[in-house]
Amino acid sequence: MTLTGRILVLVSTRSLDQVPAGAALVVHAVDGPPALVRRLAELGIRRSAVVTPMHRTAGGGRVIDVAGSRIALAVSVLRSIHTEPQG
Amino acid sequence: MTPETATSTLPADTTRGLAAANCHEDGSAPQAPAGARVVALAGAPNVGKSTLFNALTGARRTVGNWPGTTVEVGRGAWALPGEQVSLVDLPGAYSLDPMSPDEELTRDLLLAADPAARPGAVVVIASAAHLARSLYLVAQVRETTLPVVVVLTMIDVAARRGIEIDTAALERALGCPVVSVDPRRRRGHEDLDRVVLAALDAGPATPRVDPARVRVQPCGCRGCTADAPCSCCPHDLVEPALDGEHTAYELERADERFAWIERAVTAGVTARADVRQTWTDRIDRWVTAPVIGPLIFLAVMWAVFQVTTVVAAPLQDGLDQLVSGPVSAAVSAGLGAIGLGGGLIEGFLVNGLIAGVGMVLTFVPLMGLMFLLIAVLEDSGYMARAAVVTDRLMGRLGLPGRAFLPLVVGFGCNVPAISATRILPNARHRILTSLLVPFTSCSARLTVFVLLATTFFPERAGTVVFAMYLTSILLVVLIGLLLRSTLWRAVGADPLVIDLPPYQRPTARLSLSVMWLRLKGFLRTAGGIIVATVCVVWLLQMIPGGGGGTFGAVPVEDSLYAAVSRFVAPVLAPAGFGDWQAVSALVVGFIAKEAVISSWAQTYALAEPASERQPGALGQHLLATFESSSGGHAGVAVVAFMVFLLAYTPCVATISAQKREIGVRWTALGLVLGLVVAWVLAVLVFQVGRLIW
Repeated sequence: MTLTGRILVLVSTRSLDQVPAGAALVVHAVDGPPALVRRLAELGIRRSAVVTPMHRTAGGGRVIDVAGSRIALAVSVLRSIHTEPQG
Repeated sequence: MTPETATSTLPADTTRGLAAANCHEDGSAPQAPAGARVVALAGAPNVGKSTLFNALTGARRTVGNWPGTTVEVGRGAWALPGEQVSLVDLPGAYSLDPMSPDEELTRDLLLAADPAARPGAVVVIASAAHLARSLYLVAQVRETTLPVVVVLTMIDVAARRGIEIDTAALERALGCPVVSVDPRRRRGHEDLDRVVLAALDAGPATPRVDPARVRVQPCGCRGCTADAPCSCCPHDLVEPALDGEHTAYELERADERFAWIERAVTAGVTARADVRQTWTDRIDRWVTAPVIGPLIFLAVMWAVFQVTTVVAAPLQDGLDQLVSGPVSAAVSAGLGAIGLGGGLIEGFLVNGLIAGVGMVLTFVPLMGLMFLLIAVLEDSGYMARAAVVTDRLMGRLGLPGRAFLPLVVGFGCNVPAISATRILPNARHRILTSLLVPFTSCSARLTVFVLLATTFFPERAGTVVFAMYLTSILLVVLIGLLLRSTLWRAVGADPLVIDLPPYQRPTARLSLSVMWLRLKGFLRTAGGIIVATVCVVWLLQMIPGGGGGTFGAVPVEDSLYAAVSRFVAPVLAPAGFGDWQAVSALVVGFIAKEAVISSWAQTYALAEPASERQPGALGQHLLATFESSSGGHAGVAVVAFMVFLLAYTPCVATISAQKREIGVRWTALGLVLGLVVAWVLAVLVFQVGRLIW
């Protein structure tokens, strides 16, 4: 992604650690090491997927709903998932 | 049907394929006849693979409601109509792009270099509740010529979530048969038998992607040295090379697979759009919450150990009294009746063999209860939550939250805990966790702590034992920090990404089956060691140690056993227990902690106490020994002794497991580390303690 593209992503989207619980969101981009991006994609967290942040967990992470599955993510992972409101 | 299954660890040469998957073949376990067709069971973690495997083969593999339960390959005979095939249970994998050794094993065995060694069909288990996630593996396997059968599990969970699956439509979209089964209740097996047999008979499948359209990459598969396209592996599925072009190609392929999955899900699945709060969510709000979650975790762990020790105690006492009383007396009387009483044979049988077997028996209730409670926790789904609440603590040690799971298992027994480190993707995390596991206080050490605490601190025995557990946790943290700041400064923890399975009511059959499997494993490994150790100790006590006497007629203090212990004793004098009788227990404890109390009983030529809570004459002897060796500071010396016992080598079986998992070099380092830490701490406790106590 170009620098301009990255800046646009940062401006127009919010990472999953910043959003309130309960609202369905669309994943805009996932940053991070390729292995992590791939594992998240395998779990359904990839571009265009709809995710719903749920409650916070011990250690600062939170539980995410992805197509009915519950996945616990560390705060560092939440920061790498950029989302925008659905619709 | 087979009552057993054989398991294998990561084979050194996985290119031999599934036919060679059993490097630890259990000769007693019936397997499919030689030449039988092979069916592989694959799927994402925690979709019920091992439960289905057990149901199909009658085997009893460990199952649990948390990711990473299967870290080894299991194989058993599966009776299809008119034919017995060999069913291979592979470790859970979301895809054929491995991120951990167990996933790598799955990939290597499915894509074995030798086509003759590949399975005749692959049964991919997919959770109906998380279908899209389960289908990535299907997408990849369907790119090969392996015949695929998709098995849908957790239909009931999916239905509760408002998910309905049109099996026929899904079958058309995936281009392979789809069957619904309920392995926990053994439903749908007949359909599965029929479909798998048909898939085997049909032979190689047509790949869903035209091979001509798959761009061939320079070979990047592990163990292959070709720098150009080779014929040993399907290049579409090998590890991506690190160049940007290849990575872009891999992403393109992944996008194609996800699009294929989306089409299949759209065709075959009807799901409710809204996210409903389930009772699992409501429980998780508390169980994984920032402050309450860790407190609940501590309470659960405390309850496990409390129930284990309190409930098991009367059973242990009863068994021990039975063996040391009526059974020993009957054997002595029987030997006396045939003229063999009072001699070497009676000594060996009663003080060696029966004492050893009796000790193993007393462990059965303790270990059985512990394994049962852990199985219930696993089956309920709580273990995944425990990994969430401990993630931050583990992160401080440079370990991912998942590393907590082997460490918890270590409080039951260190040997399976070392094997459980395979769920960690990073090799350094596995080594670090394997080095920390021996500092978790296994249940075998618990019996010695209870005996010593009851003897020396009768009013505060419970507190002392609890303090030993806290010391164990503290040691894990401190040693972890030490190793991280010295050997692993550059290694960070993988961030937490864990699937939280819905809670489910544990089934008695499954929990008891897991308990029995683990108990049998314990009895097989530890039982043999304990009986052998007790017999060897008895033998050493019969051999003169240079102070006169003849074989079988030498006082214990003049035996070879005492001589060996006396040789080691001066090293431990600064810790306040440089007495050969105290040290002898540590020498035996190096082999197995389970044999410490019985070896003391042999050392003092006493009957083993009826219970570690009623030390009786053995307690009096121990008091005198520690009083004398510590110069009047018996209490401090015994605390130093317990700290030493906690920190040094758990047992030879653990060393053997470490050698298998992390190699000789790291095992040797762990051995030295344990001995050094144990000695330094014991000396520190005694030298400081005697100044203030």
